[in-house]
Amino acid sequence: MNATATTADLESMGSGYLVEGGRTLWSWLGTRDHKRIAILYTIAITAFFFMGGAAATLIRLTLIHPDGRLLSAETYNKTFTFHGVVMVWFFLIPSIPSTMGNFLVPIMIGARDMAFPRLNLFSWYLYMIGGLFTAATLVFGGVDTGWTFYTPFSTMFSNTNVILAVVGVFVVGFSTILTGMNLIVTTHMMRAPGMHWYRLPLFVWAMYATSVVMMLATPVLAMTLALIGLERLAGVGIFDPALGGDPILFQHFFWFYSHPAVYIMILPAMGVASELICNGVRRRIFGYKFMAWSMFGIAFIGFLVWGHHMFVAGQSMYAGIVFSMLSFVVAVPSAIKVFNWLATLYKGDIHFHAPMIYALGFVGLFTLGGMTGLFLAAVALDVNLTDTYFVVAHFHYIMVGGSVMAYLGGIHYWWPKATGRMYSENIARLAAILMFVGFNLTFFPQYILGYEGMPRRYHQYLPQFQELNVISSIGALILAVSYLMPLFYLGHSLFRGEPAGSNPWRATGLEWTIASPPPEHNFHETPVVTADPYDYRD
Amino acid sequence: MNASMPAAAVQQQFDDAPQQKEAAMLGMWAFIATEVLFFGVLFAAYVICRWRFQLAFVEGSSHLDFPMGTAETAILLTSGCLSAIALRQIQLNKARQSAVLLLAASLLGVAFLVLHGMEYHDEFKEGLIPGIRYVEKGPSAHEMELFFALYYVTTGFHSLHVLIGVVLLLIMALRTWRGSFCAPYHTPIEITGLYWSLVDIVWIFVYPAFYLVGSAG
Amino acid sequence: MTQQEIPTLRSQLLVLAGLLMLLALSASLSRVPLGWWVLVITASVAVSQALLVMVVFMRLKSAHPALRMIAILAFAWPLILVALTLGDYFTRSLLHAALH
Repeated sequence: MNATATTADLESMGSGYLVEGGRTLWSWLGTRDHKRIAILYTIAITAFFFMGGAAATLIRLTLIHPDGRLLSAETYNKTFTFHGVVMVWFFLIPSIPSTMGNFLVPIMIGARDMAFPRLNLFSWYLYMIGGLFTAATLVFGGVDTGWTFYTPFSTMFSNTNVILAVVGVFVVGFSTILTGMNLIVTTHMMRAPGMHWYRLPLFVWAMYATSVVMMLATPVLAMTLALIGLERLAGVGIFDPALGGDPILFQHFFWFYSHPAVYIMILPAMGVASELICNGVRRRIFGYKFMAWSMFGIAFIGFLVWGHHMFVAGQSMYAGIVFSMLSFVVAVPSAIKVFNWLATLYKGDIHFHAPMIYALGFVGLFTLGGMTGLFLAAVALDVNLTDTYFVVAHFHYIMVGGSVMAYLGGIHYWWPKATGRMYSENIARLAAILMFVGFNLTFFPQYILGYEGMPRRYHQYLPQFQELNVISSIGALILAVSYLMPLFYLGHSLFRGEPAGSNPWRATGLEWTIASPPPEHNFHETPVVTADPYDYRD
Repeated sequence: MNASMPAAAVQQQFDDAPQQKEAAMLGMWAFIATEVLFFGVLFAAYVICRWRFQLAFVEGSSHLDFPMGTAETAILLTSGCLSAIALRQIQLNKARQSAVLLLAASLLGVAFLVLHGMEYHDEFKEGLIPGIRYVEKGPSAHEMELFFALYYVTTGFHSLHVLIGVVLLLIMALRTWRGSFCAPYHTPIEITGLYWSLVDIVWIFVYPAFYLVGSAG
Repeated sequence: MTQQEIPTLRSQLLVLAGLLMLLALSASLSRVPLGWWVLVITASVAVSQALLVMVVFMRLKSAHPALRMIAILAFAWPLILVALTLGDYFTRSLLHAALH
């Protein structure tokens, strides 16, 4: 565990895995090194993030004025569909698992690589092919169904490229499945001697729980989308009311995947936050076993709550009540996690470096998003709030406030490990704070708008909603700036950053015992683990 | 760097052969789980539709070729058993026997596909294929269309899996014949056998769901 | 799992015989007008056949517990999907009955 750290401080950018596998383009595109694949994913995911972000900017610009002058109704529908499809399947779902999960899980457990390196690369190519299909929908005129592809609109009425989009999501789904399988097998089989389950960092637990959800949920989406494609192509009428089929059956299948998919997005973020918080306060996590098992609690109960998306869709009232109660139950393990983070912080000496600011932002925004989720889980309230901006604000608090904050926090925290360089801490703090402010300015007004009755997915609205919409759009501008900032200062640090050394955060964990950037097979000799995680002693 | 190594070698990320084998087995079972869920959606749709349209499903089922379906089931079950015995023989270092058994298993898979193709052909002539040729009239024609839609999507995806399985078994038979595997190293045969058993299990549920609705209801 | 025991040829063939007998039972009884019992019989035959294949041919009997766990998850999850979805369909008409 300590033999490899000695030369680390001398090494910096342009060493380790970044050059050891070769410097050619092909040495990257044909690589099997999990770290290089993680970098490939990071580049691709960043590109999609900014594509989806551009669509979001267009949406917010349109909504500055109640008349919706910027985009026609049809273009507006296509814009929010593109935003949703790209952000859900090409950014949020793979964001943390495919980048940090790929990079860190083998190192954190003391392995030389993932269990199936070739499959790992293959899953990146699947991701790119799926992305190509989705980008192609834009070229051919877009899709207007919304990211949910609800039937019968998507099967019988929409004249847009639904099949192309569905194929793109189908393919990227298999990329997700393969990544999940790889992470499960790696965690089970590749742990270093002494690294038993309760010595795993919580990030690894989070990735494991996420992978189980990926494995058990994504195939359902794949087949459901295949049925949509077949219904459009060949008239297979399972969702077609004209034949006696039931469009609501589609919603059952879709949300059986898509609600757990929310946990695919948030569980990794919880893992990242746990790492960041322990390091920022230099303590052990409070209630390690509760933290680990509550993630499995969330993953499991998350499969039993999908009907709360369908309270007003025509589902039976009795089913609605059952789903409502189960939805309240999922708040329990989530709350355990929030309380344990707070207990970890309690009376601690908190270091406000950029990753910690992101992590604290995550906890706050996740709590607010989760609490409003409870409002929506109550049938009586949801009947009024369904399809309003309240729902939009709620899930953006979870996905953007939660997942993206944690994603960026993790990127900052492990940046020195992946690149060997430190970024400029002050400007990073500024970006993090700006992001927190911009985010709340964008989405908090949407809670109020939704509560007052503004429906989602319209490009026009009543004039009395304009003030709050303008505030929201100004917030979106700030948010856009704060998202662009890391691109510049992290990019700058690649060339001009201070060498980071092997452990700039004085953190615990196997990844900080090896050089930055790590050598090609991570460990020169297999580490032997003798201590619990988060063994901070100062 | 993995590709150029001899097949029996341990890839660099693993410590030893048992670890590599256990990883492959766990990976395959995880894959099987995703496949089960993939088909699980179709079975869920089937259960809902059957519960809603009981009589149409009985009528639809009566149009299917019951003896043919039964023969296909027997063929797949036997084929699955042969691939399991092939694994046993390679563990006993009897590579030639193992190769022959794998070949026989794949030929039974081909027989399944041929019989099922004949069924599809007959049903096309009868006009029972929604979206392509569907001529059923009568009060429950629409509901029966759902039965046939589910039947074709399910058996279609299943036949695709049989086809993949046949190809895999043929490759394994060839490699076994050439002596690529032995008692200490035969993971690919075991993995292929698992896949082939999955194909079996899916059909074990397809058969009663579509062919044996019979007088139920 | 590292030291695999090799099953006997007899056991494999016996299981095949059992599978084919179950098939014959299921196929013949499905022709008899037994109403809903046909569903019960064919479904239980299918479940027993699937279990036989998994335990013997796929060798779950001697497999690592993790594999058994995954096998259970794989079949439990579609059941969750079916059960909660059916719950909706079962109770929809209840609501209509109450309204009329």
